[in-house]
Amino acid sequence: MDIAPYLLQLFSGLSRAMVLFLLSAGLSLIFGVMNILNFAHATLWLLSGYVTYSIFTYLSQQFGVSPWMLLPAIAGAVALMSLVGFALERFLIRHTYARELPEQLLLTFALVLIIGDLIKLIWGVENRRISLGIEPIEMLDTFVNPYHFVIIATGVAVAFGLWFFLHRTRFGKIVRAAVYSRSMVSALGIPIPLIYSGVFALGVGLAAFAGGVFLPLLPMSLGVDHDIIVQCFAVVVIGGFGSMLGTFVASIIVGVVYSFSILFWPDGALAMIFLILIVVLIWRPWGLFGTELRS
Amino acid sequence: MNADDNSNWWSRLYARYALSGPVALVLFVFFLLVPLLPGEFWTHVGTEILILGLFAMSFNLLYGYMGQISFGHAAFFGLGAYATAMLFTVLKTPAGAIGVPEFALSLLVGPPVAALGALIVGFFCVRLTGIYFAMLSLAFGELLFYIVFSWYSFTKGDDGIQGLLPPLYFQDAANYYYLTLAIVVAALLLMWRITESPFGYIMRTLRDNQRRAAFLGINVRLHMLMNFVIAGSFAGLAGALWGPFSRSVSPGLLGWQESGIAVFMTLIGGAGAFIGPIVGSVIYTMLQAVVKMYTVYWPLTIGTIILLIVLFVPGGVLGLIEKRIKARAGREGDAGDGARPGPGEP
Repeated sequence: MDIAPYLLQLFSGLSRAMVLFLLSAGLSLIFGVMNILNFAHATLWLLSGYVTYSIFTYLSQQFGVSPWMLLPAIAGAVALMSLVGFALERFLIRHTYARELPEQLLLTFALVLIIGDLIKLIWGVENRRISLGIEPIEMLDTFVNPYHFVIIATGVAVAFGLWFFLHRTRFGKIVRAAVYSRSMVSALGIPIPLIYSGVFALGVGLAAFAGGVFLPLLPMSLGVDHDIIVQCFAVVVIGGFGSMLGTFVASIIVGVVYSFSILFWPDGALAMIFLILIVVLIWRPWGLFGTELRS
Repeated sequence: MNADDNSNWWSRLYARYALSGPVALVLFVFFLLVPLLPGEFWTHVGTEILILGLFAMSFNLLYGYMGQISFGHAAFFGLGAYATAMLFTVLKTPAGAIGVPEFALSLLVGPPVAALGALIVGFFCVRLTGIYFAMLSLAFGELLFYIVFSWYSFTKGDDGIQGLLPPLYFQDAANYYYLTLAIVVAALLLMWRITESPFGYIMRTLRDNQRRAAFLGINVRLHMLMNFVIAGSFAGLAGALWGPFSRSVSPGLLGWQESGIAVFMTLIGGAGAFIGPIVGSVIYTMLQAVVKMYTVYWPLTIGTIILLIVLFVPGGVLGLIEKRIKARAGREGDAGDGARPGPGEP
């Protein structure tokens, strides 16, 4: 049996999984702490991609073309988008905490439309991508883009970092406590509003990071966010709301299943993901790693 | 206008049917007159308002009355549209013409197919509530979308189905408009009858407190499923009307963005009033028609409007008017028709 095509699909599936994880982790944190399902998360990711592109292009013009310029570009985009996330929470999202689910969904969906159109207004309709000029390397009679390994390694590193942050640092522990009981955390004198803004900024920052890291592999184009966000919802639900481990495992399941389905049923690969989502929701609505906490 | 003053018929209408009565009457008169406007443009917009309004009304059976938000409701709109479009294609002559009886038959097939879909999807969805209900309905909707999208030999996939030219008489914009108006009005009267029946009040109970409803001996899942199928059928009816109106159907009709339109309309008009989604459809669709004349940045416009509505006009336009009326009447009495979303999950 020729394993080369399967190997390729495995690598592209795993890189896809890492992007899904970086997005879903933020989505899951924001939902866990604030009970807000952020429809605009993937749109913010898309915006970050464009921002990274612009910074990269600017740096390349100023200091000459080099793949390493991607690093400051990503750092810049993450910093900028975290600020955007902070501001969004403070000035918009905050006003809907007392509202019902549909109104919150509607607010973030309005952001999808607004930000999507702003991207069109600023960057136009052409796709944007960065070429790092990396040569594919030969592996098992096939050629693999080594950048896949960069993405996979980065994704795993961020997952560990996030775990360390949530379990070993003070702010992280407060965030986890806030998932469990907001009122108790507040009663202990911790400024909940600041935690909210911080978590939202963190989530958007992770998305921005994903946007930058993925840029050399896939061009950014208008409307991709609409596909990605429902896949992120699928990941978060399959893994279980609030469970980082679950989100990580579910990302890998969704990413790998998607890229292998492409081999067998190119147009229906996404249908497979929703089929898995349906099975999980029927069998264990709280997700693979979630706990049956909220009724 | 004083809500307590029942001396004139206008106030009596308000007292009997809440805000939905007078608003529906005014809208109906306006709808009758739309084709008198010069040109076909506003007749087309009017048809779109009616069809999408019916779709949004069917969504509100789930949201406003049963308290569950479905993000896959467009699947039934799309199923109805595709069922009609496919039968239409089979029945029409090779030259593309179709007789009135065949046309009527292809319209009639939409709702039952959508109802069947809703029965299968609903069977699983009614086991969940809140965010999980929303997610499962979204997942089913997307699954159906991708099936229609990728099953080229059966559904023509991405290309959609073209050439749905209604019979000659209904190719006239005004005639198709009045056909749509008649069907939509009949559907809304039926819907009103359902929501004001004991079944409708069971829905309100399920929205407010499912556990208490169960204690009363109500079979919660069965009633939710029944409502899901009813809502799906009305969405299918709206979908059936859509194909011959736009002369084509495409997979996008099943996508979650289409479901989002029903949510927008409902929240703009006000989920708390029976007629709210229609009011939302009037505002949304007319605005779209006007804005698109001037700019391609329609999403930016509607996004900003929704943002402002969520922040400053919770309860939608009708909710705002209702609040004003009550404030003027100076009392806190409940004059609403009860279609008001419950206070979150128990």
